[in-house]
Amino acid sequence: MTKLGTSTDRYAAKRPWGHFAALFVLAVLVLGSFWAADWDFAALTDSEKRGRAIERAWELVGSFSHPDLSAEWASRCWQLTLETLSAAVFATFMAIILAYVLAMGASRAVCVGEESARGWWRSFPLRSPRAALCSACRLILDTLRAVPDFAWAVILVAVLGLGPVTGAVALGLNVTGILGKLYSEFWDNINEKEYEQIRSLGAGRLKTFLYGIRPLAARSVQSFTLMRAECAIRNAAVIGAVGGGGLGAEIMYQIGMGKWDKITTLILFTLGLTLSADLASNFIRRQLRNDPNHPRAVRSRSTLASISRGYIGVGFGLCIVMWAVWFMGWGNSSGPQGKTRNYLEPLVNLVSGEELSKFTFFEDLLSPDFDMEVWGGQDIYAIRANPFPDPDAPLGLFMITKETEGIRLFEQYGITDIFDGDAWTAWEKELSKWFVWRVVKSAAVPLSMAIIGTLLGVLGAMLLTYPHSVAFQLESQQFTGETPHPVIRGLRLIQMVLARGIGLVSRGVPEVMWAFLFIAFFGPGLLAGAIAIALHSLGVLVRVFSETVDNVPYRNFEQGFRGSRMTCFAYTAGPMSWRDWMTYSFFQFESNVRMGIVLGIVGVGGLGFFFTFNFEWFRFEKASTYLLVMVAITVVIDRISRGLKLSRMKA
Amino acid sequence: MTRILVLMVALAGIFGLAACGGGNNAVGTGNGGNAPGNTAADGGDGSGGDTGGTDAPEKLIITAIPDDNADKLKENYGKVAKYLEGKIGIPVEYMHVENYAAAVTALANGKAHMSWMGGVTTVQADQQTKGQAEVVCCRDIDKKFHTYFIANIDSGIGEVKNLKDLAEKAKGKSFTFGSKGSTSGHLMPRHFFTTQSGSKPEDVFSNVAYSGSHDKTLAQVADGSFTVGALNYATYDKASDDLKAKAPIIYTTPNYVDYSWVAHKDLGADLIGKICTAFLEMDKSDEGKAILGFFKAGAFVKADLKEWDGIRAVMDAGVDIGG
Repeated sequence: MTKLGTSTDRYAAKRPWGHFAALFVLAVLVLGSFWAADWDFAALTDSEKRGRAIERAWELVGSFSHPDLSAEWASRCWQLTLETLSAAVFATFMAIILAYVLAMGASRAVCVGEESARGWWRSFPLRSPRAALCSACRLILDTLRAVPDFAWAVILVAVLGLGPVTGAVALGLNVTGILGKLYSEFWDNINEKEYEQIRSLGAGRLKTFLYGIRPLAARSVQSFTLMRAECAIRNAAVIGAVGGGGLGAEIMYQIGMGKWDKITTLILFTLGLTLSADLASNFIRRQLRNDPNHPRAVRSRSTLASISRGYIGVGFGLCIVMWAVWFMGWGNSSGPQGKTRNYLEPLVNLVSGEELSKFTFFEDLLSPDFDMEVWGGQDIYAIRANPFPDPDAPLGLFMITKETEGIRLFEQYGITDIFDGDAWTAWEKELSKWFVWRVVKSAAVPLSMAIIGTLLGVLGAMLLTYPHSVAFQLESQQFTGETPHPVIRGLRLIQMVLARGIGLVSRGVPEVMWAFLFIAFFGPGLLAGAIAIALHSLGVLVRVFSETVDNVPYRNFEQGFRGSRMTCFAYTAGPMSWRDWMTYSFFQFESNVRMGIVLGIVGVGGLGFFFTFNFEWFRFEKASTYLLVMVAITVVIDRISRGLKLSRMKA
Repeated sequence: MTRILVLMVALAGIFGLAACGGGNNAVGTGNGGNAPGNTAADGGDGSGGDTGGTDAPEKLIITAIPDDNADKLKENYGKVAKYLEGKIGIPVEYMHVENYAAAVTALANGKAHMSWMGGVTTVQADQQTKGQAEVVCCRDIDKKFHTYFIANIDSGIGEVKNLKDLAEKAKGKSFTFGSKGSTSGHLMPRHFFTTQSGSKPEDVFSNVAYSGSHDKTLAQVADGSFTVGALNYATYDKASDDLKAKAPIIYTTPNYVDYSWVAHKDLGADLIGKICTAFLEMDKSDEGKAILGFFKAGAFVKADLKEWDGIRAVMDAGVDIGG
């Protein structure tokens, strides 16, 4: 550390180098994503294609005036909506239980507790049995989280068969990973001093957890559980696309066939479902969180009323869970001929071990293909007999196949050609013969989509936050000192309602559904995927962004107010909420990477696509390599965000 | 925590009471729906032994690769199930699956006893059941199956004399196959394209997609989402004239063998023989003729797994999609 002498030095030290570095990294990432993956902008630049895309988008908009509300179709949509809801609730319930147990293992504070280990020894996983258990739990959670729900569904369809329970279990596994990680982080983040008293009174680790750690993190745990539940409902609406039951299969099919009036009905039902889920979770939140110091707190008149609030909230949640289990097991009559069918049966068989043996079918998933033979081999082509003699083919009765390949990395260009651009191209071409490299390369698609999509979403959300915020539209007179004319107030109200409407629709429609729509408009590709991710992120982020802005005390705006609400927003509200905005954005980026993989599964290409392809062609050893790369991406991003301390979340 | 526990107990009590009171009805229908399902699972397991026991299952579960609209499949295979039930004397149920691989898996792990498979899936079924699959029969048309390449009418790509010609004309346009696991919608068009043009579709077209089924391929080429597509001739031939006009045929591939009914050998030779006879005499009854209409076939004919060796050879040569 140099000693700071002159004022210039002090200024230099205070300069926000970090921001420049961040901007630089961002620019590199953006350029990298355009360079690494195949973007096709023809849908925007080519006038003919653009015309067709607009025409189709217009058809969809137009069909909102006459959605297919015939009794038959509407009742089918209603059944599917119920199926979706039950799957999502079932998944969340299952996830909460599993995540709670696994998180207790994965949390250092709970599982390992007090220890004298210091330095590198402290982060060595095998220092004690407890520490080993802790690492194992973390690994399980990482895997569960890294493999997206759609990929779980692709695997589980083969074991559990088609139906809502498959979707529910697939969702449940993924949500377990996400919730487990969050729970364990919340518990680890609690300062040891806050529960020291309990430990000093002689409580063991379990008691310390139950009476010390758990209550202190209860609010964050509850808030994030509800948030994930809303998310699960959105994902459940589309997981049918890969055989998970619910609305998804129908959505995918009808969009593929271009039946816009039916699609509109499906969109309306999906929106209805996600919006009522929002309302329901807000209701539970209100019942469980009565903060007497909140200015808008509801003060109960009697003791009974104030006690019963918690019971009402929890009871409401439990009732929904019970309904979901009942519906899945006995109430769903959407099957053929309106017969009820017990969808839980395959799950029961699985748990009772009857079907567990069927997993041996996938034993190859445990032996990933690293394709090491290519190193040091030779290219060998073979001429085989063409089983379908074809007069049009140049070789007619024969076909050429590649039998073995070999990588000769430095044959053409030595290591000294490092500044030669052609050398890099040649090296890359040679390296592409190695399967593992191709797998890693295919990760460029979800990553690029996530980077561009998140960036667009964040920028859009920052702009939309201004009209979206109550502080700047309805209550601005509290810090501007103006007395707006009723007409102006009316206009501001309209602005806010419009902004909220946009936010509501773009987050209420799941990413995958947006992707289906944009694929129908633009054709499959990164463009459609990135726009879908951007739109959904916009909706999710604008809500939390404007919540942050609305939570800033108005007196802070009053001091920074220079005559225009817009400048006050840009120079005061923005910077004050910046840190939180970044946290939320990075969190969204993590989930967008997973979504990029999912969009690959439904047809955009890249990692997810190749995974399903190999899985469906029974090349389990190859599919397994793709799964490993999925896990690797998630772990790397997770470690980076921990390193940057970006995933610090406040509830 | 306490709240959750207290309420759990309370709700369990309430639900218990409710179940005792008005629940009889629901339980009754529930059982009605469940009972066959249970026996089916039992049957599947009973016959799933390694001995290849000849005990016929109490209930035959059939499935099919989803190469068409789900509702249509459910309706038509429902009819097949009913027809078979009348002929072989045990209940038959159709189980719908969402993708081609699931049909193979269902056959391999005993969730289904017999399945309507495509060419690739027939071979995969043989591989995944470790040689326990048997071809019951196939349609007369399956022995000379072919694929159409179609192009959007506005694209200006007219008929081509071979696929090398198409590769030159349609370079940089978009292309769609059907389902990834389909023979006539993916494997064979890919094979013919590669052997004729000498390059992979991925290297020729700007973007190669998988629509998921033949009818979707047709719809998406007709409405211009994709310029060129490949689908089986049977789906194309029965499509509406309007769609055909918007997406005319530009190339017809040579013939190959495709779909078949594949059964698990566990069913026993007797039952498989009975099922085979039932299919072969389908053209003799009106009920059967209606089913044949859906299958777009004149009759079902005997077939042997060996006839699929050509497909197997193409699969063995590797399907290189770049990943």
